[in-house]
Amino acid sequence: MRALLTLLSLVFLGALNASAQDREDIVLTGGPALRFMEHGKGDVSHDVYWFNFVDASVIRLKELKDQAKPDELVTWLIYRPAYAARSKEMGMDLLAQLQDKAKTLGVRLVWFNSKDELIAYLNRGLDRDKIKIGDFDYFGHSNKACFLFDYSNTIDTMSIAWLHVKDLGMIHSDIFASDATCKSWGCHSGEMYSQWWKNHFGVPMTGAIGKTDFAHGGLPQLSNSDGKWAE
Amino acid sequence: MKFTLSCAVVSGALLFSTTALRAQEAVYQPPSGQTPPVAPPLIKGSPLDHLANDPKLAEPSIGYREGHTEGDAPWIAHRLIDEQGGQGWGWVKKSGDDWGSAKWIALQESLGLAVAPHRKLLKADGDLNWEYKFWGKFASYKAYDPRMDEQLPVFVLQGYEVIGPAAPLDIKEGPPGRIQHRPSGASSRSSNPIQSGGGGID
Repeated sequence: MRALLTLLSLVFLGALNASAQDREDIVLTGGPALRFMEHGKGDVSHDVYWFNFVDASVIRLKELKDQAKPDELVTWLIYRPAYAARSKEMGMDLLAQLQDKAKTLGVRLVWFNSKDELIAYLNRGLDRDKIKIGDFDYFGHSNKACFLFDYSNTIDTMSIAWLHVKDLGMIHSDIFASDATCKSWGCHSGEMYSQWWKNHFGVPMTGAIGKTDFAHGGLPQLSNSDGKWAE
Repeated sequence: MKFTLSCAVVSGALLFSTTALRAQEAVYQPPSGQTPPVAPPLIKGSPLDHLANDPKLAEPSIGYREGHTEGDAPWIAHRLIDEQGGQGWGWVKKSGDDWGSAKWIALQESLGLAVAPHRKLLKADGDLNWEYKFWGKFASYKAYDPRMDEQLPVFVLQGYEVIGPAAPLDIKEGPPGRIQHRPSGASSRSSNPIQSGGGGID
């Protein structure tokens, strides 16, 4: 009987704790190309370093963890197939390394394998009536119309997993907090994606006009002097 | 994204070092003090090793076969370069059908089994207007070409045989949507195209 009461108490306290969580911060990380696909492309060769997006994501996740209130969730969404394929190519277990990084950071790691799985998480991964997204950051390949979670990993210079501006309509428009901050660190998002984002979700998303550069080891920077961040 | 000189050095070490070939460790530990870390040694005999180190040809060898090529070839393929900058591979039709029924495809290579024929050539367009027998299948998913903002059917290549050079086809390259295109706000062929800089992707 005592054990049952203890269990019920834990469930009750857990429910209290869960109900106190009303915000989730999300970092969304796309995958690298395979070197097989990018070999011989000279200075336009993508993703020589396999964790270019990951290292930048980790920096942002640390910032979010430092800023987060005790009851605020920080979630790391990673496109798994690209890292599994790169692991196979390199003979390294990148997936285990990603799990270790998430554990060290103290963030929730959520793998996704497709656009549909990503959308399902954003819509229903948590109770969106109660837990709104307070911060959103994207690190990965992109053009102005698309987030490309897979790029040059399955098919040379193409993608089999992406989120096009026309796909945004499949995501519930009320998943963000009214004061949410959103940013795409990929290239060209500020040229189109940001506008479609604002129109659909009602919150701004900062994006780059021009290219961004992940090669400096920190958060990405604008590649060109005439580039800028826009909403 | 483009990489700095250090990345180029890393790439060179990865791709061209044949002396450092050795067994891979389960978890790679990068040397301390280096960012980004040095890539692990190239895996001997891997698709990347063959791509980087095998001798290249000026043109395909007629009759050469690669991958699973048992039985009659179900598909015939015609290599073409998209002059508008798209990354489609070329045309594929059922063996016995005419080219009017062909599909403009994205070619998904099966690494370790059958890769695109041009991987063996000095130039990626060295097999322009060459034809092949293809073994494989169409995937249930599509590919997105970020340079053109269009979707292509995916042909998963499992084997091929080189037929030889052929006359250019009298059909316009690209998917049907391109030919019948109507401008929209997200299209590369609207007044504000997807393409920018080095292809508009990074």
